Amino acid sequence: MRLIKYLLLVVVLLVSCKKKEPKPENTPVVLKNGMLVLCEGLFQQNNSTVSWVDFSSGDIDNQFFQTKAGRMLGDTGNDIQRYGGKIYIIVNVSSTIEVLNASTFEPIEQISMIENNIAKQPRYIVFKNGKGYITCYDGYVDVLDTASLTITNRIKVGENPEGLTIVNHTLYVANSGGLSFPDVDSTLSVVDLVTETETMKITIGKNPGQVIADNQGDVYVITRGDYSTIPTAITRVSSQTNTVLEYLNINASEIEKKGDQFLIANYDFNTQTSNVSLFDPQTESVLNSSFIDNSGITTLYGITYNPINDKIYISDAMEFTNTGYIREYSSSGTYIQSYHVGLNPNNIVFYD
Amino acid sequence: MRILHFFIALFVFFKAEFSFSQKKEKDTIQRLEEVVIIQAIDFEKYDYHSGLSEKEIEELTPVDVGELLQKIPGTTLKSYGSLGGLKTVSMRSMGATHTTIVGDGFSIQNMQTGQVNLGQIDVENIVGVVSSVGRRSQLMLPVSAQVSGSNFLLKTFENTFSSDTLQIRTTLKVGSFGQKMGYLAGKYCPKNWMISLSGTRKISQGNYPYLFLNGNQYLKGIRINNDYEDYAIRSTVGFRWKNKVSMRLGYKQSKINQALPGAVILYNNTQDERMKTEDRKLFMDVFIHKNRWATRLYTNGNFNVLNYTDPTFLNNSGGIDVTYTNRFWTAGVTLSWRNDQWELHGGFEEVWSSVRAVGSVIGEPERLHTYGLIGGKYMFLSGSNFFLDLSTQYVNEENKTGLEGQDRWRINPFLGYRSSVSGQWRWKHEIWYRNSFRMPTFNELYYNNIGNTLLLPEDAHQFNYSLRFMPIRKKNWHINFKNNIYHNRVKNKIVAVPTKNLFIWSMQNVGKVAVYGYETILSAHLRMSHQWKIEMSVNYSYQRTVDITKKGSPTYKHQVAYVPVHTMNMDASLYYQRFGLRLSNYGISDRYSLNENVLQNRVEGFLISDVIFFYTLPIKKHVLRLQAAVKNILDVPYAYIRSFVMPGRNYLISLSYAFN
Repeated sequence: MRLIKYLLLVVVLLVSCKKKEPKPENTPVVLKNGMLVLCEGLFQQNNSTVSWVDFSSGDIDNQFFQTKAGRMLGDTGNDIQRYGGKIYIIVNVSSTIEVLNASTFEPIEQISMIENNIAKQPRYIVFKNGKGYITCYDGYVDVLDTASLTITNRIKVGENPEGLTIVNHTLYVANSGGLSFPDVDSTLSVVDLVTETETMKITIGKNPGQVIADNQGDVYVITRGDYSTIPTAITRVSSQTNTVLEYLNINASEIEKKGDQFLIANYDFNTQTSNVSLFDPQTESVLNSSFIDNSGITTLYGITYNPINDKIYISDAMEFTNTGYIREYSSSGTYIQSYHVGLNPNNIVFYD
Repeated sequence: MRILHFFIALFVFFKAEFSFSQKKEKDTIQRLEEVVIIQAIDFEKYDYHSGLSEKEIEELTPVDVGELLQKIPGTTLKSYGSLGGLKTVSMRSMGATHTTIVGDGFSIQNMQTGQVNLGQIDVENIVGVVSSVGRRSQLMLPVSAQVSGSNFLLKTFENTFSSDTLQIRTTLKVGSFGQKMGYLAGKYCPKNWMISLSGTRKISQGNYPYLFLNGNQYLKGIRINNDYEDYAIRSTVGFRWKNKVSMRLGYKQSKINQALPGAVILYNNTQDERMKTEDRKLFMDVFIHKNRWATRLYTNGNFNVLNYTDPTFLNNSGGIDVTYTNRFWTAGVTLSWRNDQWELHGGFEEVWSSVRAVGSVIGEPERLHTYGLIGGKYMFLSGSNFFLDLSTQYVNEENKTGLEGQDRWRINPFLGYRSSVSGQWRWKHEIWYRNSFRMPTFNELYYNNIGNTLLLPEDAHQFNYSLRFMPIRKKNWHINFKNNIYHNRVKNKIVAVPTKNLFIWSMQNVGKVAVYGYETILSAHLRMSHQWKIEMSVNYSYQRTVDITKKGSPTYKHQVAYVPVHTMNMDASLYYQRFGLRLSNYGISDRYSLNENVLQNRVEGFLISDVIFFYTLPIKKHVLRLQAAVKNILDVPYAYIRSFVMPGRNYLISLSYAFN
């Protein structure tokens, strides 16, 4: 019977010796000289997080949202943007928009994106004239009044819209149709922001994703193909005529503006290799096909240029199931250092 | 709350110990030897890894088979909800697909997923459960089960012969969250015949309240879209002649209509998925025993239709409506011959399986899996023995509408040595090695973008040393210990990795896992008087299961996702005349939701306690029994799988009647 005592004692000790969550130290009251990193986590795990990286001290708080809000962010944080005095976080599977004070990161409001008991599944957000435009997987772009923080309109577009960008008073929305894979969408919706209606659709290629405009007003759309025989590519569209100008045979998973130029990042899922090239949208030519030394990158998942310190930041998702890193590079693509953040970092907001 | 929980458990066991010290009488039946005998034929009781008897099963008042199997050391249960929720089990961290579930001598299989959903196996008619790891060949087991990494064997009331001419069993259960269950079975055994008929019906609303840790506070919620409804009917006809020949022919049909609540998603409570399952099984076997020879011929078929719908999925079809039809047919023979020193055995089995889908892309795969087995055992005069089995398998793959997986062929050995029982403490040692493999499932090979037809089978190596002894054997009380130390290695482990984008993960042979384990089982029995009796059992499993795929990887030598290092069961039953009280505790340590062992992936361990009160009223050949169970009595919030919350405190009342 003594053995039973020992056994139970061991079990009690084992269960009671639990690791505690480390309390973040020196939580900043006002954010400066650092970056907010949105880490999307994994589907159905409710483990999206926001990391705060302090450039001055090197301190990292990987539960920064929870530290400030006292609750978790939710499932699949997909986009984070700063507009005016607020931070907007789009949480896809939880179907929420978290609005926080940009200076203090104190929560202001959580906007539910559930309507008639159907989750709208928001994806990305852009802003213009006090309004936020949010792509929702149910085939709409929702219009958010950033003053009242209410949805004022829903604009019908194509299937499972993803990326979007604004040129003057026109909104361009990529309709991916990704949830119908392999029967995906191939169109770019053109939306008049004055009337808040879709005026036309442009066929651009299978499975459109990110949309970005250059300084000349051309719109570039990444088409992700079928992940097999049809590779990723870039389609250039004129915002003057709303017609396709050319199809660029460049593999891309993300485009980031760096001044007048583009950084084009690509992660090849088949070969599991990462690449960043420098592209000139004026001449439509690749200036450097290996702009960044990719030897330290495991899984390139995002690229962000910080105009404040003129540095490039690569989101490394570490095979998607391990906590990720933000790799910091100089403006010329030389590796500087890494920051260990949460699971699947995808977007960054910088602070000076 | 956790500490309080342990105190209750400690109190019960120390109380039991105190009582033991007061009474030291003679030998009695050890628990391991009173576990289930699936068939009277050729079932070596001492081979059992562990098991649960009919009495224990009845006392536990389980709502599904998963609740039973988690009481067995070495098992890792993955449960995605209460009644009706998906449940799978793996033994010694090898993965659910290395484990075979055998019901009354026939394999229960699903080639599409490779694992059996324990939530869909009726529990009301189960009268015995045995787990076997590394057991020697048995005539009553299908060859496919004999060569698999591990087995769980289930015995039901309806499919066994009885010495009573008429037996009746009926149970009514009413519980929290709208649970209502009814079971009625009759078995008529005139002379050499056996005819049984039974039916089960279950309904549940499943709307249980839960607590979900959201940052610094618990979120209160109620599970929605979790209703469940099923029925099952079964019938078996059997014949036996002079213990030399017996045969059984049976049929089972069941239908399940259930909602799928999915994971708890923070701030989004919009689940509306449903699943309907229709299942039909036909089985037959013939057993012949003559002099030193024994043989069993068996065949069984299964037709399973599963319909899954998600009306609000945001695709261009306006939702998901997909139907999968799985078929399999098995035919085989096992044979054995023995004399005083030798036992020779062998077998042959063919398993044909296919899946078809409407509304989804999985091709039209078919598989013909051929098993062969030959083996022997040499028994020394001392009672110890050496055994060796060689099995061979050939797998032929076909896909009528696309690429097909490659045919596979393997030879796998299984060998070991078992000592005789010796000494006052009845020491017994056993050492064995088993090599086995499991084929990729149809989903892993062919499913839409996920499948990969180039997949290799997963290979498993198991090494085991067992030591059993009985330090106390008195008339009215005994203590029995069983210990296992084992090491397993699984290579070519099939895991999903993103190969196209983050939403499309496909299957790759990229994993290697090493398992270092220890299990101990302690059981004790004390009869204090004719009126008072205590039975108790404790088992503990240590499983250090580490990823050894790639040195330098963030997960190298980290504990594999969802495998707890520590698992423990502590059960005690107190009997006084016709009354009884059982305290059942199940605990597991922290786990990780992903292979990287970092705090943000940690899933809290838990200890769940059930208290069951029962009263039995025997009147001649009639037995009336009333049970009242309080499950999760301390209302502990817990989850086996991250975001799949389990119910808090809940109640289940059961009234059963048995004739003979």
